Amino acid sequence: MKGKAYIRSCAAISPQESFSGDFAPQLLTLEGKSMMRVKEPDYSGFIPPNSLRRMSRVLKMGLVAALQCLRNGNTAVPGAIITGTGRGSLQDTEKFLHNIRDYAETALNPTPFIQSTYNSVNGLIALQQQCTEYNNTFVHRGFSFEHAVLDALMQLAEGNAAEVLAGAFDEITDEHFYIKSRIGYWKNGLTQPADLLASATNGSIAGEGSAFFLFTSQPADICLEGIKMIYKPSPEELQQSLQTFLSSHNLAPEEIDLLVSGRNGDAQFNHFYDGVEKRFTDAKTFYFKPYCGEYDTAGAFGLWAAVKQLEQGPEKIALLYNQFYGEQHTFMLVRRSVF
Amino acid sequence: MAERVFITGIGMISAIGNNVEENFRSLRAQQSGLGYTRYINTIHQHVLPVGEVKLSTEELAELAGKPGSPEFTRTTLLGLVAMQEALQSAGIADPREMPAAFINASTVGGMCDTEKVYFDILDPEKEGTFLRYIDTLDCADCTQRIADETGIREYVTTISTACSSSANALMYGARLIRQGLVQRAVCGGTEALTRFTINGFNSLKNTDKQFCRPFDQQRNGLNLGEGAAYLVLESESLVKARKARVLAELTGWCNTNEAFHPTAPSPEGDGAFEAMRKALAMSGRTTADVQYVNVHGTATLNNDASEGKALERLFGDKVPKFSSTKPFTGHTLAAAGAVEAIYSVLAINRQMIFPNLNFSEKMEELGITPEIKLLEEYPVRNVISNSFGFGGNNASLVFSKYEG
Repeated sequence: MKGKAYIRSCAAISPQESFSGDFAPQLLTLEGKSMMRVKEPDYSGFIPPNSLRRMSRVLKMGLVAALQCLRNGNTAVPGAIITGTGRGSLQDTEKFLHNIRDYAETALNPTPFIQSTYNSVNGLIALQQQCTEYNNTFVHRGFSFEHAVLDALMQLAEGNAAEVLAGAFDEITDEHFYIKSRIGYWKNGLTQPADLLASATNGSIAGEGSAFFLFTSQPADICLEGIKMIYKPSPEELQQSLQTFLSSHNLAPEEIDLLVSGRNGDAQFNHFYDGVEKRFTDAKTFYFKPYCGEYDTAGAFGLWAAVKQLEQGPEKIALLYNQFYGEQHTFMLVRRSVF
Repeated sequence: MAERVFITGIGMISAIGNNVEENFRSLRAQQSGLGYTRYINTIHQHVLPVGEVKLSTEELAELAGKPGSPEFTRTTLLGLVAMQEALQSAGIADPREMPAAFINASTVGGMCDTEKVYFDILDPEKEGTFLRYIDTLDCADCTQRIADETGIREYVTTISTACSSSANALMYGARLIRQGLVQRAVCGGTEALTRFTINGFNSLKNTDKQFCRPFDQQRNGLNLGEGAAYLVLESESLVKARKARVLAELTGWCNTNEAFHPTAPSPEGDGAFEAMRKALAMSGRTTADVQYVNVHGTATLNNDASEGKALERLFGDKVPKFSSTKPFTGHTLAAAGAVEAIYSVLAINRQMIFPNLNFSEKMEELGITPEIKLLEEYPVRNVISNSFGFGGNNASLVFSKYEG
């Protein structure tokens, strides 16, 4: 497979001021608990008011990031729409669970049930843009966005589409924050993003976000040259995969000048990052989790950050490494073309 | 030239049987699995019929060889039972022998078990083993537990496009093979009945209090079901190298979106028409080559009208035999595409067309009616299997007789 695609445009809604398209990383000051929320843009220019009122939070985040990405790429109808989400609309899932209990299974409003369906954002993007082509949704923790990207690369390689919209979205709610805190996903006390990487404790800071990319076969400045997913590797297997990945792209580690690392301050899994980072001592390293928090599809924000860094330069070749709680590991190789 | 993709193994569990052969026997005996739930605590228990697997979760755990593992949800156990049969059927003793993919499908993951303890999880006063269920709520949990039991790990992921989920899983696995990323992919879906989905579909007012009646004028909605089904897909070169038995060829597929409404198909069946038309074109077959369509046929007012229109548009006045097998199994949501893919393979291998139960009155907006008799020794060479879902997701697959 020709596992390569150009990124013509992207868009992100995140805890950063990212929606405008610029990225000036700002460490937030959190209050109360180790959880950050996105800065929601003004959705009214994207969604008719009637629809906007009915839509839950992650649907708006997902749909609008997708629409902004299409606008940025001057495309209305892509050849395929592919998304990844670990949790879908948590708010709707929670609401329907509560409604079933509170109303004893009677006279239930179906809207939260419909919106809790994992592919509802995909359906909305297709509906709003009248895109009747290929449409798929992956729901697999740290392999949700990543398989959306692989699927996009395959669609282009198969010649089924010339432009593929692929992206990811996940939200955090207070209820879900509490649930995950019971099994150690988050730092026990309040940890500030500025202190995240140096903290020697378990867990991370909860985050959320939505990011979309327009992948094309037509050359553009930024190119995704490859992706490799590794499921539950040992530290040795991870090292081996990294080496194979780089050599399959005819790259030596010293040619990577930007390492975008998903390091999230969780002492249980730092060793994976240590192992990768020590191979690239000459590269500039950018840690993106202090800016977006940890969530299933944080890798999408990582790719967005890599693209933004490469656009600003001077670095030309970026390696993105991310993993989700030690289980799903991914490398992506991104290059700024020289024209 | 991209490789051909063959089906070399099948495994399943549903309301009409705990393995493929039991399913086949029930289909042939025209024995429906619909009834009332024994295991879900719901006010709809004696009102809404469902297609429930006839085993308790404890019995399923025994069958799957995982007794006393509360972290294995019903969703996971159903999947594990089907997976074990699929691998055995393909003659794969050790899946670790080569890099392979496991592409699973799920609509609500481990909700079946999580919903029972959800409010305990939210209560800081409560502690206990239920905390083990916390991470089983998402769709990845069942996939990873099944993958880990079998050792498949090159590609492990889960697709969720509502009722077309496992049809898309089959498509994705086939594409990984054609792109040369793996030589083997086990694809399908698993779905357990939940109070969540029963209430969800009931709130949409598209569940029938009677046994569902696909393509009938008096149809009044679907009955939910549960089950799991997996198909082992392998490249032609792998099949030749290991001299595997081929059950059928997956010759065509297509995924389209209706872009019409979040939960309803277009009246003329535009998405269904395009999905079937393009899948057939990819297979290199014509409409005249198709002997049987295993329709999505949920028995909701909208689906059957729209899918029927699409059949008439594609086949004109020569619509082949078609039937919905959902009156046997109920609508198994994420598993439905794979359950019906196996029925399509059986139709080819056993040269049989399975009847559309509970049909009595032709729909006034259609000129066609489903096959209501069991047809044996029927020359089935190519089958289209349809799966359509919320979000406008349509998927059609074409299965063809293996001709070497």
